[in-house]
Amino acid sequence: MSLGLETFMQESTFQELAELALQSTGQLIPPSKEYLIEARLSAILRREGFASCDDLAACLKARPNPVLSAEVAAALQTRQTRFFRDGDMLERIVGDILPRKLKLSKAGRVKIWCAGACTGEEAYSLAMLLHEQSRTLRGARIEIMATDICRQSLDSARAGTFGHYAIQNGLSVHRLLNYFEELETGHWQADEELRRAITFRHQNLMDADSNLGQFDVILCRHVLSGMAKPVRGQVSERLANALLPEGLLILGHGETLTGVSNAFEPSRRHRGAWDAIPEARRVAA
Amino acid sequence: MKHCLIVDDSRVVRKVAGRIVANMQFEVSEAVDGADALNKCRETMPDVILLDWNMPVMNGLDFLRALRREDGGQSPKVVFCSTETDKEHIGEALRSGADEFVMKPFDSDILQSKFAEVGLV
Repeated sequence: MSLGLETFMQESTFQELAELALQSTGQLIPPSKEYLIEARLSAILRREGFASCDDLAACLKARPNPVLSAEVAAALQTRQTRFFRDGDMLERIVGDILPRKLKLSKAGRVKIWCAGACTGEEAYSLAMLLHEQSRTLRGARIEIMATDICRQSLDSARAGTFGHYAIQNGLSVHRLLNYFEELETGHWQADEELRRAITFRHQNLMDADSNLGQFDVILCRHVLSGMAKPVRGQVSERLANALLPEGLLILGHGETLTGVSNAFEPSRRHRGAWDAIPEARRVAA
Repeated sequence: MKHCLIVDDSRVVRKVAGRIVANMQFEVSEAVDGADALNKCRETMPDVILLDWNMPVMNGLDFLRALRREDGGQSPKVVFCSTETDKEHIGEALRSGADEFVMKPFDSDILQSKFAEVGLV
């Protein structure tokens, strides 16, 4: 008699799914994190009617399905985020880095890219801080682009809707009242002005030709550290090429590119940020 | 060690919240309603109060208004914790002197986040 979802997967299934994640998204899933695969794929298993990860892996092997494979790879990504994560750094970006960049900008325009934005908490945190600093940033055009590999996460981010737990994690009650409305579903939705402040786009950091343009500041926090080391180097190079001159990369707290990428060096002007090294000066890693 | 008073008529909520707050390195005490909490605050004013809304004898809102009129009653941070989660209720709690608001149910991440918002972790 079947009791529903099986709780363990065959070793070959783990290897196939881990390889799919590595090839599609650069994500490294060590054997110790096998349990995460079950959890992260549970919604897809239910929707597609698979009893187990073994069945899903067998189906992908027997009948290659690029759309489902891409969805599985995206679902396997680490999806930890919350409002105002590393909030001090966000405040420094809005209170110090952006005003300095605006002084140097003839057009009064600054472009920010949140790479690996997940369900949008970081981008919305930035948008709230920018709104709160609107007096000092008056007249400036600040554009926020937020991208993620997972279309489901992006749909939710674009709608600006957050569930009961997400809306309370990192967000003060004062900001909740100022910027969000409760929906009949019990979810909370960011107000229209906040949603309009952010452009959401689907993007895989592994794609060489994403053509998003160039940015003054790129936030890529807690994304690279989940990737295999050689992939981190390749993705860092793409991030460096997506920075405007004097642009800055901001990583997550405790993340480093030292020994990983020859495209960046710790910024001398902004503590905790990274300057892109001009291509001519880059040495082989 | 900072002191947290948990005020809720549900033994289960007091127990769950107590464990989370103790893990955050707070000394924990409990009260079963607003009147009980007011007596305990008169004995020892806590650093933070996690406060339920609907309770017998004295509800959370009446307790909060009474607390803020007490000598030293301005000092504790008050984190309201309720199933009443519409904006009117949340606004009323803040106008009555609450510093933060937790919508039930909660978990340790939420309590940690809300205590950080009021400068306690």
